[in-house]
Amino acid sequence: MIEQLAKNLVSIKKEFVKKYDGQSQIQEIIPISKSDMFPIEETHFELLHQFGKNNPIYYNSYEQKILDVPCIVYEGDINKYWLNSIQYDSSHAPFSPTWIMSAYISALFAKEHGYSQIIDIGSGDGRIAYCGKILGMESYSIELDEMLVDLQKLLITTLDFNPYCFDAIQFDYSSLNLTRPLFFIGGLAQMGGLELAMGVLKKITSDSNLWNNAGWAFVGTLSQKYPSDPKNEAGWGSFIENNNLQLIQNLSLPTAWSFNEFDETQYVFAKSL
Amino acid sequence: MSTIDEICDMFDTESQKLENTITSAESKSDLSLSEIIDTYYQVMNVSSMISMLQEHCNAENNSKLLEKICETEKIISNKFNLEIHPKILLYLVTSIQHVTKSLQSNSGNKSKEEIENESNLYDDLRKKMSTKEFVEQYAAGLK
Repeated sequence: MIEQLAKNLVSIKKEFVKKYDGQSQIQEIIPISKSDMFPIEETHFELLHQFGKNNPIYYNSYEQKILDVPCIVYEGDINKYWLNSIQYDSSHAPFSPTWIMSAYISALFAKEHGYSQIIDIGSGDGRIAYCGKILGMESYSIELDEMLVDLQKLLITTLDFNPYCFDAIQFDYSSLNLTRPLFFIGGLAQMGGLELAMGVLKKITSDSNLWNNAGWAFVGTLSQKYPSDPKNEAGWGSFIENNNLQLIQNLSLPTAWSFNEFDETQYVFAKSL
Repeated sequence: MSTIDEICDMFDTESQKLENTITSAESKSDLSLSEIIDTYYQVMNVSSMISMLQEHCNAENNSKLLEKICETEKIISNKFNLEIHPKILLYLVTSIQHVTKSLQSNSGNKSKEEIENESNLYDDLRKKMSTKEFVEQYAAGLK
């Protein structure tokens, strides 16, 4: 089901790109309700739309039918967060969000693979953690940028996904009493993601029980704009091999930064060997 | 015509282009980003030709060319590196600071049109920042 959901989302994204004639910096779509292409619970759709409606990064929304699926288009602007994020020396990558639907499908993947907690690292506006919470998982959102954490605090009134304003490499994960967590690492391997992943991984390996039960999701790209990894996996192959991880699966999903790209963003899921 | 003659002809053309570019850069108070990039590319292009020609020329057979090379090197080091390059870098730094301040102070409720117009200013800022990085890389090569 998850692979099909991801494929269907990519299909409507591609059609939306053809139709979109607005000027917004970022834009995304969420189907209005359950359909054959998106057999998701109605209450989940409502919560996904609440995230879009309550999120100040979006300044406009309207209805549009795409491939016969009635959707809401959300238009947004993240420039002020970009400007703020480049002031942080230790910031790994400027804020650029995944799509809310992609966050939901990624969180669903985590849940269906038996993970019970989501740790969204470099979480931006916290959408992956929020989607984990929709699915009934414990969620934690770790973000260095204070302005983004303030934004997250506006969004936790619907569902509390536990935002922490902290450097993820310094964070004490043992304080969360994690049992079966999946760590989402924000940032492409080539855009500081490797450093961030390495820093977090080091913290987790010290607890062998946690290490054995942990899952990982890395954000990868197939774009030729970035140097490729000799072991592939959208930039994460060598990292996975060198750190005793095992690939579970790649999911191809739309994000704000791949809107005009032919290839979608790759979500590379891995677990301990 | 030998390869070295062809390269010498090319050097003549390119060094003349460089002189024109530098004269134009001197006369303008603020260059566009594409003019800045074109100027640096021309400086780098001619500098690499000089390095290559110096390896293949000797004082006996190529005295005229070596004179021209010496003259062009002086233009690059005295006019470009000491005058124009610092002026461009200062312009970029000041302009980035100015736009950044203006964008940071520009808060409050905005219409869809205002947000989208302001987004163009952010795009300009990103372009200026990339150009500054490019110019700084040139400066790092001078050390």
